[in-house]
Amino acid sequence: MRVPSILLILILCVPLAQATTETTWTHEFDAGYITTKPLIIDDTVYVRTSGFWTGSEDRPVVTAFDVHTGEERWTYVSQTSLQHDMAPLLFVEAGTGDCGDWQDLLIVGWVDGKVTAHSPHDGSILWENQTSVELFGITGQMAQEEDRIIVATRTGVASFCLANGVQLLEVDTGNVGWRNGVSITEKGYVIGDESGYLHTIARNGTVSTTYLGEGKIRHAPIDTRHGLFVHMQTSTGSSMYLNGSLIGHAGGSPAMPLMHEGRIYASTSEAWISLLCDAQTCSIESTVPFRSNGELNVRISGSSIEVWAPSNTLDGGWGVFNQTSLIRMEHTSFDTYGTAAPGFSEGILALGNDAGILQVTHQESSSEEGSSEGSSLIQTIHYFAILGLFLLLCRSFSVFDWSQMMKIGSAFFLVLAIAVVPELSVKLAEKTTPVNEIEWDASWPNEWKQTQVIVFEIDGEERVIGGLEPQDTVYELTMLACKELGIQTQVEQQYLGAYMVAFNESAGDGWEFTIDGKRSPVGMSEAQLGETSIVEWRPV
Amino acid sequence: MLSAIGTHGPTVSPPVLLLLHATLFFIAVWLLVKPQRDGNTWLWPLFLIVAIASISRIAMSFIPNVMPVTILAVLVGSKFGAQRGFAFAVLVTLASNAVLGHGWWSLFQIVGWGAVALVASQISVHDGNGNLSMTQLAFSALWSVPIFSLIVSLSIIDSSMSALEFGLYVVNGLLFDALHFLGNLFFAMWFGQWFDRLLQMNQPNSELIQQESEHVSTF
Repeated sequence: MRVPSILLILILCVPLAQATTETTWTHEFDAGYITTKPLIIDDTVYVRTSGFWTGSEDRPVVTAFDVHTGEERWTYVSQTSLQHDMAPLLFVEAGTGDCGDWQDLLIVGWVDGKVTAHSPHDGSILWENQTSVELFGITGQMAQEEDRIIVATRTGVASFCLANGVQLLEVDTGNVGWRNGVSITEKGYVIGDESGYLHTIARNGTVSTTYLGEGKIRHAPIDTRHGLFVHMQTSTGSSMYLNGSLIGHAGGSPAMPLMHEGRIYASTSEAWISLLCDAQTCSIESTVPFRSNGELNVRISGSSIEVWAPSNTLDGGWGVFNQTSLIRMEHTSFDTYGTAAPGFSEGILALGNDAGILQVTHQESSSEEGSSEGSSLIQTIHYFAILGLFLLLCRSFSVFDWSQMMKIGSAFFLVLAIAVVPELSVKLAEKTTPVNEIEWDASWPNEWKQTQVIVFEIDGEERVIGGLEPQDTVYELTMLACKELGIQTQVEQQYLGAYMVAFNESAGDGWEFTIDGKRSPVGMSEAQLGETSIVEWRPV
Repeated sequence: MLSAIGTHGPTVSPPVLLLLHATLFFIAVWLLVKPQRDGNTWLWPLFLIVAIASISRIAMSFIPNVMPVTILAVLVGSKFGAQRGFAFAVLVTLASNAVLGHGWWSLFQIVGWGAVALVASQISVHDGNGNLSMTQLAFSALWSVPIFSLIVSLSIIDSSMSALEFGLYVVNGLLFDALHFLGNLFFAMWFGQWFDRLLQMNQPNSELIQQESEHVSTF
């Protein structure tokens, strides 16, 4: 029975053992850099190369790999694109619109002005079109709007029908742009240019232009609730603008900023920057000495986030930041200069840099978060353990081996109880705990009616806010509300998920929340909210 | 001294917590060195069992209420008496809670496991010859649960808690008590004999040979 004992212990330890499983593969391209982030869709990773191609052999490619094995699925080679291709790849899901139906598409913008739509499965070109070229063609981020693709061209914007590539719009602003990604806003399509102008192109093609200042806008403007955010490269460094107003200066060669949950992350040759957008404005909250000049990307794991920035230095690597500071550096064996952000998918990390090497790492389930695949594996093993022990129990019973029955029976009932007790306990708690009905408080503003409201009871003082943008989970609403109310939060990732440690540094004996007066059977990251839910946080 | 009162009892300030730990540690040492029986056959086995109990409690912390500490408290109490059993409870709680988290509840856990060891020293799970009785051990898996659980539950009582609320709290914990019992039973059935052999590791060979000849292993 020693062997079964060890096996049983191993089964119980599976959640610990699988926490560190990691596999990696790499692919070195024959020529060129990786300057845009790899794109991971389902079980395929797509990546493009860029370079300045002078010979007759090497050319830029777009290649698809099996994300698990690294096996090359297809490669498309452009024979006409000879300059640096800097436009990120764009995946579009199959759909239907006024133009017709389209299948899944991988859209590629080329520096020679071409837009090509590929089948993600075999790389074949389903349609292509041409935009204007003035030395360069497409170098910025594209965007999808319903049944059309919006492309920032060298001098303006063009749009194409996703179903067949027919051009629907072409607007020339008169100024040239570089890495001039396009943003879609309520008013239309927004791009910047190399002369410091911001152009808003209405859907009917009319253009309105705002001059921000002397400098170069080399990213897709960010649409915040306070207006457009632009990080403009200037002759002395960089300047940040919000809704047309200057809000700060920073170092040179700014990276392409991005926004996530009320924060804007930016970077320059001198520092990584985190801006907090509160109810009034966006302002710099923290800076960390760092050099990153290309793309940034956000990795979301449950309720925690990581902002990844490629270090554009000889030593290379990727800086991993939380909302305000550097957490760690990630390195590969081929570190060097880099501007491509990592590509992320569930448990998968794809890294590429100027060495032209792609590295894809699978993290089956890190210690910080349990992936759904990991949980599913544990559940499957758990069920097999229950079934196996039940069969062994039956066998022991059939041969009247009472000693074995006691052993197998104790293991069987224990494993069974581990599976059912937590959920049963929640049900029991719901039945036995008096419901603390939360009613509408007459002192709350009427505008909050039919919106989500959240109440905090911190150090005996009640703070409440409503009328916020509807959020899906308690975690999201809590974070948003705390930002609005200026409440500091401290959240820890634990085995069972995100855990609220403290509000305004008040930890006490823990915090619990209710939704409409009822305790939730799941943690704050999973607890779903209705449109008019009332959430209450109070100390345990 | 006590910085806050909550559902988990008073929150102890860091200096007081340090003092509390030091006091508890010296109590454990005193209980260990205080003469009780002839010979020193208990010392190293006890330390070994403390290490096993602490590490396994930490390693299994992801499964609520399933750990071998309670059944080990029974074995230690039965084998070495209440005094060593209480020292075992102090050392295991201090060591494992250093990782899992200390607080007001640590005191109650010590008392809880100490009480289990105390009862085990009275209703021994060993027979007159010192042989382990698996039936008694299986039974101890059951009776040890309400003793430990009730004592630890007392840690939540404060001036604002009514008897009804405490009753509801205890009722809500019954399912986890069942889990505790099944965990105890599992460790008793699968590892009881092995734990018991570890506790006897420093006994004179003549005694061990005699006990082995009477002992029927289920492994």
